[in-house]
Amino acid sequence: MASIILENACVEFPIYNARGRSIRRNLMARVGGSVAADGDVVSVNALKNINLRLTNGDRLGLLGHNGAGKSTLLRVLSGAYEPSSGTAEIEGAVSSLLDITMGMDPEMSGAENIVLRGAIIGMTIPEARERIPEIAEFAEIGDFLDLPMRTYSSGMNLRLAFAISTAIRPDILLMDELISVGDAAFASKARQRVQELIASAGILVLASHDPKSLLEYCTRGIVMEHGQIVFDGPIEEAIVRHGMEVPEIKKEVPAATGA
Amino acid sequence: MSLKPSSRDWQRAIADARQGLSAWHVWNLLAMTDIRQRYKRSRVGPFWITLSMAAFVGGIGLVYSTLFKQDIRTYLPYLAVNYVVWTLIQGIIMDATGVFSSSGVYLRQEAMPKTLFAMRLIMRNLIMFAHNIIIIPLVFLLFGVWPDWEMLLAIPGMIMLLVAAYPVVMLIGMISTRFRDTPVIIQNVLQIAFFLTPIMWKVDQLGAAAPFVVGLNPFAIFLRIVAEPMNGRAPSLWTWGVAILVIVLLYAITGPLFARLRARIVYWL
Repeated sequence: MASIILENACVEFPIYNARGRSIRRNLMARVGGSVAADGDVVSVNALKNINLRLTNGDRLGLLGHNGAGKSTLLRVLSGAYEPSSGTAEIEGAVSSLLDITMGMDPEMSGAENIVLRGAIIGMTIPEARERIPEIAEFAEIGDFLDLPMRTYSSGMNLRLAFAISTAIRPDILLMDELISVGDAAFASKARQRVQELIASAGILVLASHDPKSLLEYCTRGIVMEHGQIVFDGPIEEAIVRHGMEVPEIKKEVPAATGA
Repeated sequence: MSLKPSSRDWQRAIADARQGLSAWHVWNLLAMTDIRQRYKRSRVGPFWITLSMAAFVGGIGLVYSTLFKQDIRTYLPYLAVNYVVWTLIQGIIMDATGVFSSSGVYLRQEAMPKTLFAMRLIMRNLIMFAHNIIIIPLVFLLFGVWPDWEMLLAIPGMIMLLVAAYPVVMLIGMISTRFRDTPVIIQNVLQIAFFLTPIMWKVDQLGAAAPFVVGLNPFAIFLRIVAEPMNGRAPSLWTWGVAILVIVLLYAITGPLFARLRARIVYWL
């Protein structure tokens, strides 16, 4: 059972400049008295008072211009950032396809990287080892499996990263734009895998600038501006509210099955 | 900002520590990867750790045994044991300054327990220690040192050192992530500590100042709790007592601080 409840969640980043981060500065401020009392810590409000409830079957599209807070919200939903005020309750296994190459090491072989990444995203080591052939086959890396990843072409790198990241079935799936990797043949295979992932996930949150993919995969949409939710409703209306046209496509959404 | 953690903070901190410990396969793998990666394209691989340790101990041993007018047959084994243990202590403390900042890629996008990275760091240093300790039996063999039963006391000593290392890594890690001057300060403290700790010299050479420099110096306490048994002497009750006191203090300080600041760590990266 997947669920996400955000209540008045705020994310406020303190920006310490070089001086603000030094102990000397801190000591001087305490000892010396009046010099620029906390004038050094500037903070950026990345998210302000976000209220959001998602349960099994929800397919949420995130819209907003660059810097509106979409990525930060995704990171809050993944549990990496805990709100600086307010609360975030996240239940269920989260898979965030935000940076699929995370934690991959160019000096290690493809096989070693599969085990490493696999362990980080929640597999046991025997399980990860067992899945090496299957993942390598999907990624089409062939004989390169046992060579260090620095010898891979950038396409192979991405294909392997994609194959590992999508090897588990999460309850909550977070994506920043639909991943597109590889040439036409691989892209269609990848697309199919993403669709399977989406279909089996309890909750999908997709941040995107592309109205077509939003319309295809999401039912509900929120529009963000300056770190706040300014609209929450059906995806079609959200697209219009964001100032885009709703494209004519037939929905071939794999119906939400729930986890 | 109040530094007092709420009950919710405590719950989450405890969950973090529990998950961090139970994901042993992850920190174990990450630690192995760290070592393997460092020596990936070298022929001798991780045994460079052993070789450089042997070179240092051999070189310093020759010079200082002459300088201190000590018999090299007793001085060099003494130095080897001390320096191997010191390298472990120093490695853990030095690495602790980057424990979170070097794991930013993970921490910024996955809800991974923060304590997992402390375990990875300790594990990595233990692997290095395992490579270094190889030289001890070799040195003992070379100089005809016969191990005593006291040597077994090094095991509880080692356990206490590791129990202390955990909060040390978390504490230094948090402070260094927030205040970026800390790593340099720690580096300097370690340099001074190296000379104030009986690694190259013996306690009795110090005379009247010994109780203050050695008896109250936490570096010396944790060094001696492991190194003394290996040198064939049981550590004094004082050493054990201070070690326990330091451990209690470390947990009493780090526990609440971690509970309160755990969620902020990612914001400071």
